Amino acid sequence: MGDELVRDGKPFDPMDPWRGMRDAYMDAWAKGMVEAVNSEAYAQASGAMLDSYLTASAPFREAVEKTMLKVLEQMSMPSRADFVSLAERMTNVEMRLDDMDAKLDHILLLVSKAAPSERMKPQSSTQQRTRTAKAAPKKKGSK
Amino acid sequence: MAGAPAVTDPFTLTVNKLKTLSKVMTTRAAIAQTPKEIVWTLNKARLYRYIPVVPQEKRHRIPLLLVFALMNRPYILDLRPGHSFVEYMVNNGYDLYLLDWGVPGPEDKNLKLDDYTLEYMPRAIRKLQAVSGSAEFSLLGWCIGAILSTVYAALRGDDHLRNLILLTAPLDFSNKESLTFARWTDDRYFDVEKLLAAFGNMPGEMIDYAAKALKPVENYIGSYVKLWDNIDDPLMVDAWHAMNTWVTDNIPMTGGFFRQLIVDLYQKDRLMRGELVVRGERVDVSRIRANLLTVIAEADHITPPRQSEPIMSKVGSADKELFRVRGGHIGIMAGSGACKHTWPHINAWLAARSK
Repeated sequence: MGDELVRDGKPFDPMDPWRGMRDAYMDAWAKGMVEAVNSEAYAQASGAMLDSYLTASAPFREAVEKTMLKVLEQMSMPSRADFVSLAERMTNVEMRLDDMDAKLDHILLLVSKAAPSERMKPQSSTQQRTRTAKAAPKKKGSK
Repeated sequence: MAGAPAVTDPFTLTVNKLKTLSKVMTTRAAIAQTPKEIVWTLNKARLYRYIPVVPQEKRHRIPLLLVFALMNRPYILDLRPGHSFVEYMVNNGYDLYLLDWGVPGPEDKNLKLDDYTLEYMPRAIRKLQAVSGSAEFSLLGWCIGAILSTVYAALRGDDHLRNLILLTAPLDFSNKESLTFARWTDDRYFDVEKLLAAFGNMPGEMIDYAAKALKPVENYIGSYVKLWDNIDDPLMVDAWHAMNTWVTDNIPMTGGFFRQLIVDLYQKDRLMRGELVVRGERVDVSRIRANLLTVIAEADHITPPRQSEPIMSKVGSADKELFRVRGGHIGIMAGSGACKHTWPHINAWLAARSK
């Protein structure tokens, strides 16, 4: 009995034929759907649906934005536009800092080349600053 | 637990399966575990350096920078221990860096190709050069990251870029009949300005829907059926869990870049026609001189091979190779066969050119 229920070293599973049918059906369905979404009609329909949604929701979105802006103004709170403006300025400051960091790296490289006896390996100013900061408490402790 | 009796009760078995299903559907897998440190930041972008495990004298001289797409998390390159491209390359002696673009906010809606390739990438590369101590570097771009890498290499090719690796790079948009995305974003049906006026940035959920809708049955049904069929196999469940964590972790694409992607690339194919202008500079791919490896996924439905092939005849590189891998857009780098085919080939190609 046991031999009859074992095929290729695996126990017989009555669900296997059903799985085979299911997989065959899903393969056919998948191929059909790929053809459908790749059609001009699908592109046209999905474009129309998106356009309708955007057109219909635009007045509500604008009303909510205007109302929210007024409420925030009344409460003396910053609006999203204020935050956006602030964030953009922060990024600009970061860029200037990054430029300075690059110049510092360049200066450190020139210094290390000018003082070969120190055999300083060219490295980033960020790394050097981090190491200096970490080294400071050790010195205190050793004293 | 070797002495624990095997569960044979069908009801208990089904309950256990449902518990596993619930766990993998509702929790996040432990991903991106290769040790790393942040060496540079700008706005939302981060440059990570992976902690080397190979002694310096045995490491490759040229550092490698990984650049992934803008609308997905880059940890697909470091999915899980034992199955991570990052871990593999670090173990093979590369000084490895990853540029993570982060999650753009409303304040970033105007960021575009110009900013990514001429502000962010040069700055990150400058820092990479300072930290690694090597002026020369290699660049690996995947998907949209490959577009950014190609544009960067064309505009700043004299910036000590030695090796360029492009994975499933969507660069040629001339054959619209074979591109489903191009059909959907045709200017007769798709109003990109109206969409961006409503959202600012392109929502990650919409990008995810579009990617999944290319193969709706496989993505919305087949994936879960496959999981249920193999739910007793812990290795398969772990792999599915990690991949599902990545697939469901979508991020928006900045409005400025999305506009360029649709109008300049999908609709007008400006890059390969030599008409793309980035901050006043025409992007001429023939200016690319770096050694080039282009990796193509033969069954890629997101970036069909014909989108990546034409770059080979247009670049100015003397050393170039086209490598075809059986698999899909993500599978060639994160699938079960990646560690046997794609990774070793990239490693061999790059090792020979990183001395």
